[in-house]
Amino acid sequence: MGSPFDINGGACVAMVGKDCVAIACDLRLGMQALTISNNFPKIFNFAPSTYLGLTGLATDVNTVSDLFRYKVNMYRLREERHISPQTLANLVSSSLYEKRFGPFFVSPVLAGINQTTGKPFICGFDSIGCIDFAKDFIVSGTASDQLFGTCEGLWEPDLGAEDLFETISQALLSAVDRDALSGWGAQVYIIEKDKVTQRLLKGRQD
Amino acid sequence: MDHQARETVGYSFSESTASGVKQHGFYPYTDNGGSTLGITGSDFAILAGDTRSTSGYNINSRMVPKVFKIGGDDETGEGANIVLSVVGFAADGTALKERLDTVVRMYKYQHGKPMTVSACAQRLSTILYQKRFFPYYVHAILAGLDEEGKGALYSYDPVGSYEREQCRAAGAAASLIMPFLDNQVNFKNQYIPGSGEGHALAAKKAEPLPLETVKGLVRDAFTSAVERHIEVGDNLQMVIITKDGIQEVYHPLKKD
Repeated sequence: MGSPFDINGGACVAMVGKDCVAIACDLRLGMQALTISNNFPKIFNFAPSTYLGLTGLATDVNTVSDLFRYKVNMYRLREERHISPQTLANLVSSSLYEKRFGPFFVSPVLAGINQTTGKPFICGFDSIGCIDFAKDFIVSGTASDQLFGTCEGLWEPDLGAEDLFETISQALLSAVDRDALSGWGAQVYIIEKDKVTQRLLKGRQD
Repeated sequence: MDHQARETVGYSFSESTASGVKQHGFYPYTDNGGSTLGITGSDFAILAGDTRSTSGYNINSRMVPKVFKIGGDDETGEGANIVLSVVGFAADGTALKERLDTVVRMYKYQHGKPMTVSACAQRLSTILYQKRFFPYYVHAILAGLDEEGKGALYSYDPVGSYEREQCRAAGAAASLIMPFLDNQVNFKNQYIPGSGEGHALAAKKAEPLPLETVKGLVRDAFTSAVERHIEVGDNLQMVIITKDGIQEVYHPLKKD
C-alpha cells in the first residue's frame, strides 16, 4: 500500500506579497486514482486574517481542522482576542508533536497577517510539527514537486495583491495539471490588512 | 539459510547468525541524476542540460555534458545537424549516443546525404526498442530542424515510445520544470482578458517564441531547478540549432 499522504491526493500553496499573503488549494478528493469529490476545500479559517491549509490523508484533514477549531475557540474564550498567525503556528507545531509516534498524516500550510504588527506571515509544517519559516512561499501535497518548480519560476518579491493572486493561481493550476492526484478546480484566498478576497477557480476538470 | 530462517520467528536481528554465506548482488543500473530540457521555435531548437553527475548523495563530477552532436564529420561534432540529450543512467546514455552517432554517420556515407531529423527520430526509437527487455535506462530528447527548416523536437521513454513536441523536460527535475514550461511556452491556464464569460473565454494560443525569450526561459527553468533539487547544478550546457549550424554555450550554475 502506498503512503497515507498520497491516498486522497491534493495540493496547497501559500505566498508572501507586499503587505499581503495568499493561500490556495485544489478541490479534489480521491481514493487512489478514483475521484470521489470535486468539492473538498483544504483551507480553513481560524481568525479574521489567519488561514490554515491541510493536505494529506482526508480523514486527518477533517480531524485536525476540527481539533484546531476547538483549540482556537478555547484560546479566544480564555484570552478574549483573536489568535495571531505566529501563535497558531506554535500551537500547530506543539499539537502535532504530541502525536510524535503516531502522527496525523497531514502537511499543514499557514498564512496570515499579524494584526498587531501588520506584517505578513507564512509557514509550513511536516506531519510531526517541524516548522518551516519561509520568506517566499510554502508548498505541500502530492503536487509539491510541481509546485516547487512553478513557484520558484513565477514568484518574485513585493507583489501587490492582484499580481500575487495571478501568480499563486498560475503556479497552482499549472502544477496540479501535471499531477494525477490533484486538481479539479481551486480555491484562492488573498489576505490584506483588513480585507480578505476568496476566489473559486475552475481549472481543468480531468 | 532460507528454510532455517522460515522456522524461526521473523526478528531481523536473529537472521544474520543463521548463515555464513555472503550474498552478492549485481546492479546493472545507477541513477546519475541531472536534468535536460528542450524547446523549439519557428527556425531553431534548443537542447539544454546541467553538467552535474551524481550517484546517491555523492557528486562524481561537475562537468559531464548530457547533450551531444550526432552525425558530425569528426570527434568535435563539426558538420552535425542533429543533437541528442540523454539523462538517467550515464553509461547507457554514452552507449546510446555512440550507437546513434555511428548510425547517422553510416547513413551519410552510404546515401551521400545527411539523415533527416524525422528519420533519425524513427531510428532512435528502433534502437531503444531493440533493448525492450534490458533497456537503455535513459530519457532521450532529439532535436534539429525539419525538412521545412522549422525547429523539431522528439522525446522518448526508455523503450522507444516517442512523440514530436514543442517542449519537454526530462530527468531528475522534470517534475519541477515541466509545469513551468506548460505555463510559459504553451501558455496553459492563460486566457485572453475580456474575451468572454465562462466557456466563451478564449484561451491564449501557443505560438513559437523568439530565440532570446526561449534562452531566458531555459536559464530560468534551470536556476529554479537548482534551488530545489540537489541532483541538479554546477553548469548549464545549452546547444542551439539554427540553419547556420550548431552553437554550444555554457553558463555557471550554483555548485552547492
